[in-house]
Amino acid sequence: MLRILLINDTPKKVGRLKAALIEAGFEVIDESGLTIDLPERVEAVRPDVILIDTESPSRDVMEQVVLVSRDQPRPIVMFTDEHDPGVMRQAIQSGVSAYIVEGIHAQRLQPILDVAMARFESDQALRAQLQARDAQLAERKRIELAKGLLMKMKNCNEEEAYTLMRRQAMSRQQKLLQVAEQIIAMHDMLGE
Amino acid sequence: MSEHKNSRIDTQAWAAGSDIPEKRVLNLGFMALTDAASVIVAATQGFAEKYGLTINLQRQASWASLRDKLLSGELDAAHSLYGLIYGVQLGLGGAPATDMAVLMGLNQNGQSINLSHALQFAGVTTSDALNLRAHQKGARLTFAQTLPTGTHAMWLYYWLASQGIHPLEDVDSVVVPPPQMVAHLKARRIDGFCAGEPWCAQAVDENLGFTLATTQSIWPDHPEKVLGCTRAFVEQHPNTARALVMAVLEASRFIDENEENKRSTAKFLSGSDYVDAPLSAIQPRFLGQYQDGLGHAWLDPHPLRFHADGAVNMPYISDGMWFMTQFRRWGLLRDDPDYQGIARQVQQLDLYRQAAEALNIRVPAEQRSATLLDGKTWDGSDPVGYARSFTLHALADSDAVAL
Repeated sequence: MLRILLINDTPKKVGRLKAALIEAGFEVIDESGLTIDLPERVEAVRPDVILIDTESPSRDVMEQVVLVSRDQPRPIVMFTDEHDPGVMRQAIQSGVSAYIVEGIHAQRLQPILDVAMARFESDQALRAQLQARDAQLAERKRIELAKGLLMKMKNCNEEEAYTLMRRQAMSRQQKLLQVAEQIIAMHDMLGE
Repeated sequence: MSEHKNSRIDTQAWAAGSDIPEKRVLNLGFMALTDAASVIVAATQGFAEKYGLTINLQRQASWASLRDKLLSGELDAAHSLYGLIYGVQLGLGGAPATDMAVLMGLNQNGQSINLSHALQFAGVTTSDALNLRAHQKGARLTFAQTLPTGTHAMWLYYWLASQGIHPLEDVDSVVVPPPQMVAHLKARRIDGFCAGEPWCAQAVDENLGFTLATTQSIWPDHPEKVLGCTRAFVEQHPNTARALVMAVLEASRFIDENEENKRSTAKFLSGSDYVDAPLSAIQPRFLGQYQDGLGHAWLDPHPLRFHADGAVNMPYISDGMWFMTQFRRWGLLRDDPDYQGIARQVQQLDLYRQAAEALNIRVPAEQRSATLLDGKTWDGSDPVGYARSFTLHALADSDAVAL
């Protein structure tokens, strides 16, 4: 059974979604308002999906969504009355997987959640690839910086600098990146 | 130098979006052997990142588990025995037949056949003495290799047969993972073994055995490990596969460039994350310096090598076919396979050519010729005839000469 963290950010005491969700057979843990610390609640409740029911997503809501997406990503579905395309775009950019305007029916919940989860998984895969690329680029930049410093210090060419770094790394049973960081640190300490 | 000029061209192509790897983070399997050097160096010394790849190295406990993880997708590619890839391709052994790919050769030479100290004490220190011992009545000798279809089984069988010892009738064979050879020898569970380094050198160093024959004495510059993966992986990730070949080619060239690079590579390999063995067992044979444990020492003319201007790395059609001829010879294949057809599907020649040409590495002819220690020449021209041409064999079909 899917475990849903339901955030009720409407003025109504009993959110309109809870009954529909229970009727559709989900396990619902509900919270009132967004005065709560959403990342902290996600950590504690470990939901499969987060549903946010809000009349109009405020800046605070968006910020909480960004934090969750960054640190403990989950599929996030937002039900709202807000039609403004700008708000919708902002919500999606913050990490919302599905943005549903009005019309909550128990029988529509399952497909909405299915789509949100599929979308979430593909986003996560894409994000992992992008992160790997960023990490590779960052690593290459550090190695190239160290190579440039070494070329100056040893007055040697690019290939000689790479070879020196690799020999040093392997003789000390280290990766090239570790030696690059040592060269950069040593250079910083000795100053220009 | 050309290395860096080329890398810059490649970087530009990558930035322009023409060759972007479909998968950037790879799980790459290897066994604790010195001939895994080029993949280990490619992964850790900044060669992979240059091509947009991050390689997670995953050391495996046995060739069988490496094979199973390649097939399950847990590993994307691996340092593999030539015979492992062809064994899976043909459905021999413990895995279902699966289309496989050889991306490139990783190394040539550098394995050996070793006998126990007990045999040495009994005076069995030559092939003639071993032949006599193997044909004596009484306890049969047990030899270990590393996988039934693997290169070590094929070198062991080829060598024994060339000395008049039938490997399937005169002795027993068992499979032992390479890093456990020394322990098995020590426990006297085996009388000898064929494996890669540093495990042979370690047996000699620890006075547990001696080296009777190197595999380069069977076939100078023989094919050994390859970079292998499933065919599905190459088909789904051609850019990743090409980038991986380029990274490993550059690492291979770096290792073979000079002795100082080899020495630092040997030092690195000895680390606990990689081969996890003393440098004293790794370095000498890595540099071609052999001593056999019987008082002979020599600088080998055909030592373990990783590049040789690309001669090592070419996925020769004739190399792939040779393993199939030996599977046929020893009854693992009951019929003649389509030698050329299968080898052309498995050996990823086009991909290799693209990678090598981008790095200005010479691409040799698809077939090569060699004369092995029994005087027979293998040039890939007649695999069906070659497989049937041996005096000692276990041909299993109806046309075979009865043994």
